[in-house]
Amino acid sequence: MIRLEHITVGFGQRTILHDLDARIEEGCITAVMGPNGCGKTTLLRCMGGLLKPQSGQVLVDGRAVQDYTARELAQRVAFVRQHQQTDFDFSAFEIVLMGRNPYQHHLQNESQADWDIVERCMRQTGTWHLRLARPREMSGGELQRVMIARALAQQTPLLLMDEPVSNLDIAHQIEVMRLLRSAAHTVVIVIHDLNLALHFCDRLLLLHEGRLIFDGAVAEGLVPDRIRTVYGVDAHMAEGRVAIDY
Amino acid sequence: MNKTHANPWVIIGLTVLLLAAMAGSCLLGAVDFEASEVLQSPIFWQLRLPRVLMSVLVGAVLSVCGAAYQSVFRNPLTDPYVLGVSSGASLGAAVAILLGLEAWLWGVGGMALAAALLTVWLIYRIASIGNRMHTTTLLLTGVCLTLLISAVISFLMVLNHEKMDSIIFWTMGSFGSSSWTDVVLMAPVAVAGIGVVLWHGRDLNLLLAGSEAARSMGVEVERVKRVLLVATTLMVAFAVSSTGVIGFVGLIVPHAVRLVAGPDNRRVVPYAMLCGALFVLVCDTLARTLLRPSELPVGSITSIIGAPLFIYLLYKNKRGY
Repeated sequence: MIRLEHITVGFGQRTILHDLDARIEEGCITAVMGPNGCGKTTLLRCMGGLLKPQSGQVLVDGRAVQDYTARELAQRVAFVRQHQQTDFDFSAFEIVLMGRNPYQHHLQNESQADWDIVERCMRQTGTWHLRLARPREMSGGELQRVMIARALAQQTPLLLMDEPVSNLDIAHQIEVMRLLRSAAHTVVIVIHDLNLALHFCDRLLLLHEGRLIFDGAVAEGLVPDRIRTVYGVDAHMAEGRVAIDY
Repeated sequence: MNKTHANPWVIIGLTVLLLAAMAGSCLLGAVDFEASEVLQSPIFWQLRLPRVLMSVLVGAVLSVCGAAYQSVFRNPLTDPYVLGVSSGASLGAAVAILLGLEAWLWGVGGMALAAALLTVWLIYRIASIGNRMHTTTLLLTGVCLTLLISAVISFLMVLNHEKMDSIIFWTMGSFGSSSWTDVVLMAPVAVAGIGVVLWHGRDLNLLLAGSEAARSMGVEVERVKRVLLVATTLMVAFAVSSTGVIGFVGLIVPHAVRLVAGPDNRRVVPYAMLCGALFVLVCDTLARTLLRPSELPVGSITSIIGAPLFIYLLYKNKRGY
């Protein structure tokens, strides 16, 4: 699916990711975790072809990500960003419809099939009732779900999501995570909630100061020792969940 | 739910309205004549018809460029005039005149294009910080470049008294000297340039969602931006080199269209093309009939309408497209 081969990324003097080597398993939900500023977003942007590593390369389905045209890549990889540009007046429906762009040619209009896909994705994310709302009329969580709907409308085998549930209440967090499970996508998700990750994700890429310190099953990765190393907080396991000691 | 493409009935309606306005405008002017005599009159053939055609072409071009700029720069307050690109083109035209390049058909237009492209490039380099373009930086860059360029033009005028009149013309904007040569130069540029913008209608929508979002939804962002900026700058340069700087058209028309038709550029661009043609035609007809037999610069009329609108938009600071 995705192979990261010894990628190193830096801006100016600062190196963000050091020689990172990993692979994303097909059909799995992979959690990318680590403290703020450890390079999670940078890693996701590399996978999405939005950032070229200084050395090493990213392979998507065995082909270097830079060798894809934007259109080809957008049919394979969808990206949900952490921060949204919302200073325009498109309705939620029109925003989700943009996700159908990789399947259209110039001057071609969206077909009924595209409209049906958009409706289905908006119903799945519980945003259908918002279809006529503009971004500035929506709450942060509502907008986040609209953006998830847009990524789903791209109908890609791979979904990259940068903190897609951070703006959501707990009920919507669970709903979105269940949706990702049932959609049978390969998903790479930046997530902060340890227990959500334990419950809904299969694999874990744990980053610490720009280095990959764990790559494996999520239940093996999120153990008190490692949580202490990475986040500097004490924790213990209780009934299969991580409990933080305040 | 709105359909996303332009409504053919709106297009037909606006086209009919535009043709009627063109016919009406040909009958109005410093010299009155009966509708039956029009086709025999050299005033009609040599003065009014090319002038009406030029105002229609330039109005369409400036409005389409405004709509495209607002999406490419992701800023509702931009158009080629506000960003100083029109002034840059006028400087190029002025330099061409001083160098005596008028003799060549493409001389003035070519210099205007080179100077306008340079201005766009400067704005792009100065105002983009990382991936973003801040409204304040962008607008201030435009204002500063406009001031700088007008200072350079004043300087050139003082140094070259004998050519002052023809240079002043480029800084004011007028269809007073429009000829068939202008129409023949402008028409193919307008058709090709507007065609390029229409072709990229959906890309313009996606650019509004941000460069990275557009890229991850399949837009070759850098290439599309470059193509659009070159096409629009070409149109602006040719419009400016034949009629001078006409302000604010690219700001007013797309905004008015969006109020009615919504933000989708697949509607905004074709509607703005027709409405812009109509708007500049009406402004120019007013410019030559209000105080006849003397004439107002058409740029003063568009600016009287446009500048207050610009201030209103700034004041309201409504961040919507």
